[in-house]
Parts: sequence; structure tokens; C-alpha cells
Amino acid sequence: MKADDFLDITDVVCPITFVKIKVALEELNDGQILEVHLNAGEPIQNVPRSLKDEGHKILSVEDLGDGTFTLLVLKGGLS
Amino acid sequence: MIVKVNGENLELEKSLNVTDLLIVAKAEQPEYVTVQLNGEFVEHEDFAKIFVNDGDEIEFLYFMGGGQLG
Amino acid sequence: MDNLTNEQLERYSRHIILEQVGGIGQKKILDAKVLIIGTGGLGAPAAMYLAAAGVGHIGLVDYDTVDLSNLQRQIIHQTKDIGKAKIESGRETINEMNPDVQVHTYSEQVTASNIRDIINDQNYDFIIDGTDNFPAKFLINDACVLLKKAYSHAGIIRFQGQTMTYVPDKSPCYRCVFPTMPPKDAVPTCRQAGVLGVMGGVIGTIQATEALKYVLGVGELLTGYLLTYDALTMTFRKIKIPRNKKCAVCSKNPTITELIDYEQPTCSFGA
Repeated sequence: MKADDFLDITDVVCPITFVKIKVALEELNDGQILEVHLNAGEPIQNVPRSLKDEGHKILSVEDLGDGTFTLLVLKGGLS
Repeated sequence: MIVKVNGENLELEKSLNVTDLLIVAKAEQPEYVTVQLNGEFVEHEDFAKIFVNDGDEIEFLYFMGGGQLG
Repeated sequence: MDNLTNEQLERYSRHIILEQVGGIGQKKILDAKVLIIGTGGLGAPAAMYLAAAGVGHIGLVDYDTVDLSNLQRQIIHQTKDIGKAKIESGRETINEMNPDVQVHTYSEQVTASNIRDIINDQNYDFIIDGTDNFPAKFLINDACVLLKKAYSHAGIIRFQGQTMTYVPDKSPCYRCVFPTMPPKDAVPTCRQAGVLGVMGGVIGTIQATEALKYVLGVGELLTGYLLTYDALTMTFRKIKIPRNKKCAVCSKNPTITELIDYEQPTCSFGA
């Protein structure tokens, strides 16, 4: 699955992680996909749930094995 | 009969006109207060003519200006 | 509008997280222009919260200088500012709070001859009445009705306050509720009766809240309501007010079609 946009948030902590994703998703249309590179720990624990609460669908979660994850988010996928 | 003035119940022996209600309900500055009866404004020139009835809701709206004279 | 910088994403993160705001809403706030007439008890806290929120253009209108007796409630001014023009003191505080805000200052009293120019200077989106006298309050109301500008009216005294919001063609205006100015000395002022300092904070911040909601286009404004607050009993009341069909300025047949400088009558009411 090819993403429409890519965002790296391994350099920030919560809640700026969610803030950056939210702003990136605003630039996409419903149905488009955002690929997110984020850290283990608080980010991976909080972000997927917050995104679901906002009506977006998590298409996949991949553990890269180096302390980071890749998330594929479908904008508006749960609306 | 019971009317509500500024959200509080007020018991009246009989129906009063607005002029008298302002006195009984101890309205501040009755010459400058804006009166609403059941949501509608009552003009000052009608205060003596309009009577309140059981269940009516009356609001006294006051000027609040701030710090300075004039 | 440019994208938000990393610093702005952090500064406004608590706004952006809100479903009703987001990055889109924060950009609206950064683009917004709010005029605050009077940087006193009401205007001071309103200006500070709007600056913190990131309102991009804040206009401050005041011709007065900071006085020791102001400091009990006009928290935008500090002890070191005594004797300074209020608009300068206000501008300094805002600049230190938030570099995203541009402050426009007007060292004057609003009059029929200057208020139109002041409002049009930055084409302000929303006006906050923070004035402390009735001629100004009636003038601001009439100007906003004639210029079709949304605004927040408010007043405080002792332990009480009240506020209402006007949106052109959609709500009652101040004159719908109070058709005529009271005579001088008829209504107590803070100087005579006193005011608990925080009253300006509570009501002024409500005015700032209304400005932000208007800019964002969220929630229900205090249009068609007079919100009254009694701090002693800690009671808020939201009193529904209709548009006055006989209103001199905002009804279908207005008698006020031009701005004039009001002199408060000193004799009987209605004269």
C-alpha cells in the first residue's frame, strides 16, 4: 500500500507527536493514507488510540526492531 | 399567586402592575431598569398599565457601566 | 497562510489537540484581528488571553496612563508601568507573552469621528467593548451595528458583571435592551462603588472566549442572551433577550443612522 504522504515524528515527544500527525492529516483528503515513523513507548501507546478517537483508521503497525514503528493511517477511515 | 423575579420565586397577594412590582421586589434604580415580562420587553411608559399574573417570569436588567463617570 | 512552525505546533499544542480547533483552527486564530476598546479591568485580561491564544492582530484603544489604583485589576500593567501610556504598557506585555501577535495601538478616546477609522484600520473581525462609560458603550454599539461588526459588550461593578455578544443581523444589540443612556450619576461607577478586581478577569475572559469562538466558528455565542454573574452567590444566569422591534439602531426602521457623540444628560431619564 502506497502512502500519500510521510511524516517522521521520532524527534518529538507526546503530545506534539499527535499534534504533528493531526496537522499532517489536515492536508490530506478523506481516504488518503499517511505513513508515520514514530518511537516505541508513549508515542506508539497513545497515538493509534487518539487517531481512532478522531475517526481515522490504523491500516497497519510495523515494529522496525530499532525502537521505532511505522504506522499507516487512513484519513477518515472510521467515519 | 407566585411570580418569578430574576429567577427567584416571589409570592404576591394580588396582581400588581409593573410599577408596584418594582417597589415590592425592591428593584434597584427603578427609573433606569429594563423590564422583561415572559421574555418580552415592557416599555417604561407601559409600567402602570401592565399587570403580572400567576406564573409570570420577570427579569430586571440593570445598566453596568464600569469605572468612570460620564 | 503559512504552515505552522515547530515552535507554533508546540506553543499551541493544547489548542490543536481540540477536535474543534486543530491546525486549521489555530491558523484562523493567527489570522484573526480583534480590537479591544479600553485596556482596563475588562480589556486587560481579554487582551492577555487573546495574545496567549495567538490572535495575530490585536488592536488596543486607550488614551489613559497607568495609575496605581488600576493595578488591583488591570493585570496587563505592572507597578513599573505607572505613568506610562496604557497602550504602550499593554503592547509590551503582549510582545513578551507572544511574538506571533502584532499589536496596533490607538492613543485616543473613541468618538463619532474616529471610531469608524479605527475599526477599519485593520478591518477588525471582532470588537471587545472594555470601556467604562456609557457614551462610549452606546457609541461602540451603534458603530458595530452600522458597520456590521460582531462585538462583545460587558460591564462590571462591585461583585457583579454582565456580558452579551452582538452578531450583525442575527441578534439583539445593546440598545434593544437599554434604549437610552442613563443620566450622569444615575448608575454607580467602580470609582464610587468599588469592584472586586477579579470581576474583570472573569467577564473579560468570557469576552475573549466569545471572540475566539466567533473566529473559529464553534459553539454557541451569547447572542440573544444577557449573561449575568454574581460572585457572592456564585450564580451565572443566562437571560434570553429578544431583538427589540422598536430598536433605534438595529430594527427595520432605525432612527439612528449616523454616529454622534453622546452627552450624558444630567437631568431626567429620557431627556
